[in-house]
Amino acid sequence: MIKSRPIYEPFRIDPAGRAHLIVTDLSALPEDIGELEFSNIELWVVHVVAPGIQAQDSAPRAFRAVADLLATLAVRLRREQVGFRLYAVGTEPFLWDVHNAARAAGLGKGEILLTHAGSLKRRVYCTHCKTMNEDVTTSIVKCRACNANLFVRDHFSRRLAAFMGVAVDAEVPGEIPAAEVLYP
Amino acid sequence: MNLIIKPPETFRGDFSMRNSDEAILRFPFPFPEDNYMYAVNMEPHVRGGPTAAYDAVFDLDEHYLGDMQDRALVLNDDPLRCQVLPHMADAEWDTLELLMENLAQDYPHLFSLTKNGDEWRWVNRPMNIDDTFNFGRADTLPYPPFEYITRQVQGDFTIQDQRDDNLFMDGGMVTSQADWSLNFDLGMAFHEWHGPVPVAHEIGVFDRALKYLLRLQYGKPVRRLNWTLTVNPRLDTSPENYPLWGPDKATVTPENVGTKMCLRVELQTLTRLPRSNAILFGIRGYLIRLEELVRVKKWGARLHRVIRDLHPEIAEYKGMPRYRQMIVDYLAPFDDGAVLNSGTAPEQSSL
Amino acid sequence: MIARIANILALSTSIKRIALVAADGAALPTAAAGAHVLLHIPGPRRVWKNAYSLVSAPDERSKYEIIVRRVENSRGGSAWLHDHAAIGQDIEISLPANLFPIARTAQKHLLLSAGIGITPFLAYLPVLQAGAENFEWHHCCKQADAPAFAALLPSGRDITLHTSRNTLDLEKLLGRQKLNTHLYVCGPAEFMDVAVATAQKLGWPAAKIHKESFGGATGGAPFTVKLAKSNIMVEVGPEESLLEALEAAGLNPPCLCRGGACGECELPVLEGVPEHHDHFLSAQKRAANSAIMTCVSRAKTILVLDF
Repeated sequence: MIKSRPIYEPFRIDPAGRAHLIVTDLSALPEDIGELEFSNIELWVVHVVAPGIQAQDSAPRAFRAVADLLATLAVRLRREQVGFRLYAVGTEPFLWDVHNAARAAGLGKGEILLTHAGSLKRRVYCTHCKTMNEDVTTSIVKCRACNANLFVRDHFSRRLAAFMGVAVDAEVPGEIPAAEVLYP
Repeated sequence: MNLIIKPPETFRGDFSMRNSDEAILRFPFPFPEDNYMYAVNMEPHVRGGPTAAYDAVFDLDEHYLGDMQDRALVLNDDPLRCQVLPHMADAEWDTLELLMENLAQDYPHLFSLTKNGDEWRWVNRPMNIDDTFNFGRADTLPYPPFEYITRQVQGDFTIQDQRDDNLFMDGGMVTSQADWSLNFDLGMAFHEWHGPVPVAHEIGVFDRALKYLLRLQYGKPVRRLNWTLTVNPRLDTSPENYPLWGPDKATVTPENVGTKMCLRVELQTLTRLPRSNAILFGIRGYLIRLEELVRVKKWGARLHRVIRDLHPEIAEYKGMPRYRQMIVDYLAPFDDGAVLNSGTAPEQSSL
Repeated sequence: MIARIANILALSTSIKRIALVAADGAALPTAAAGAHVLLHIPGPRRVWKNAYSLVSAPDERSKYEIIVRRVENSRGGSAWLHDHAAIGQDIEISLPANLFPIARTAQKHLLLSAGIGITPFLAYLPVLQAGAENFEWHHCCKQADAPAFAALLPSGRDITLHTSRNTLDLEKLLGRQKLNTHLYVCGPAEFMDVAVATAQKLGWPAAKIHKESFGGATGGAPFTVKLAKSNIMVEVGPEESLLEALEAAGLNPPCLCRGGACGECELPVLEGVPEHHDHFLSAQKRAANSAIMTCVSRAKTILVLDF
């Protein structure tokens, strides 16, 4: 496995932390996540409901969409103190979008923990036109902007929160291997 | 140093680039032995080495103007080939100071640097540049400091921030790369940006290299060589432009392999920067056509053996499978099988 | 490189500020905030190599300045600098190295120092101020030293001098820092241990705690070392470190910080049981007794080193 491809650790709460927030792009934490015994743990989920319906006061707090959760997270992190721990559980693009928001607020090594759950779908960066292609489940994908046939590599950028896509038929245009569903 | 700079030749399109006899003899040939494997092959970077390419701290050669012109074309097309993350401002000035001071010292007939407090005057005669600016104030330069100076020095450069017991590539001027993307790799940690390299991880090369570099000391720069093969003397072999240069690979034939196939060598330097504590990674690339290289007898024979016996995964990673046999067949007549000395020096002073 | 003592200023009975210029009059290499140099101090029987943080501003290339405290029961280095150093004398120094840099990705810098630990932060100050960086500095010292340190510290609401433990509430201070803060600690070992332990208790991750300490080398029981490659025996006396004993024997082992933190002086141990006092080796290496940091560690038995 290529060294730049992140390997995720099993979920666990860090006992050295003073306050804990778990965010997920799923509507609930997976059942196998383990016991959450600490009392000072908050949980935010994404539960797609009709617009206008507020679910704020419930625990866990439910957001209408990932974008909504990320925007609120950025503001929340500006108020927190060192000793805080942030946990993200969910699909890979979500994990790294959370990671970027956390880094922008000053969180670093030991303070952000990522656990993969749910779909293996990838966000793929087209190296030729810089466009992000979302929800990619196949080994080869056509770029939605420039139509390049991209081989989805395992080389991953945490900054861009995406995998690298490079033209698969650059040497002999049109010679494209069959795509396989590798990331369902 | 008596450097004579040619009028600019091209590293794209008609590929008019040619190496003079002097350029061939000073080439930093990378193979000291008949076979090749990855290693942490770092040595102190001092003035002087097996060929004249090691004589200056930052080497310039006859292709200076052609290289810089190609760089300007790449940047015009894709400005994201030069990026520096915001927290690396000190490293930008460290780089500017380091490159200007060394160029002025190694090539006094081409460059001059005069300091009057923090007011500096920099003259680059070959490029007709005469700029006065305030060191530390970016608004007194036509480009941000790192971009400003690297537009005037051959080779790619990246700046590594040292933190968390790791090195992060947080800036770079990358227009002559051997197939990696600055915009994609920007911000990566040491093992991440080396992720795609096969074999080396298993034998622990990168673990040792990182440990070594974390303790790189100011005033004690190091260097090593890296190599690959390129079809046509093309500087910009970026993944971004892969659809442009990828098709070249299928145009290599036994008749043209001597002209089209180039050995591409990177003389890499690693220098600790004073204010930022960052590491400047210089990737100075050199291109030589096979038909030019074989005029040095030792190099023709040695290259034949290296390519013939190369580990298949390494050959694959360096993009060789399509034409590896053609190269071996072209070089075979230049190898009489005799024992060759270790070391990379040409062992001849004329061609 | 050879430096020349250009000025000596007594800040108190035990603290002196020394200015060094290049002996050949050239500009000194640029040093960063947090950098230190090693001074090769000539004693009657041996040369001591002591590390001192530069307190001069980083872009000051005409001189380096250090502040030296005369250590009680000094084994020699600081005593020589106080009692024998004179203006005009030449002294060999290393090039600057920086093992305590300002963290570039931090958005606020919380500085905690005590006593002579003030030194690296004096160099940080102009850089933090020039960059309009957000910082807060708390310096602790003994009542008797207060006038000397007060003279070194500029006034400002971000800088507080504490002459008693009671005025610095570490838990409250460390507990209220926003996420983008990094902590820097410099001073005597006991001060640093308390500060770091308090931060860890409050959930500060290791990546946000930066420590600088010198002079970790204290004496101890004498011991004998055999050098396998050089094929000689070296006796390490009670007042010297293993590194100093090797240097006194005419050898040139590697070193950089001389405080057990950077890893440069590590030597392989072939036989014997080291007594580890460093901050660098992993738990496994410590337990395996396969290496030793010569600048601070000692031994309980005869040691055989691969050197």
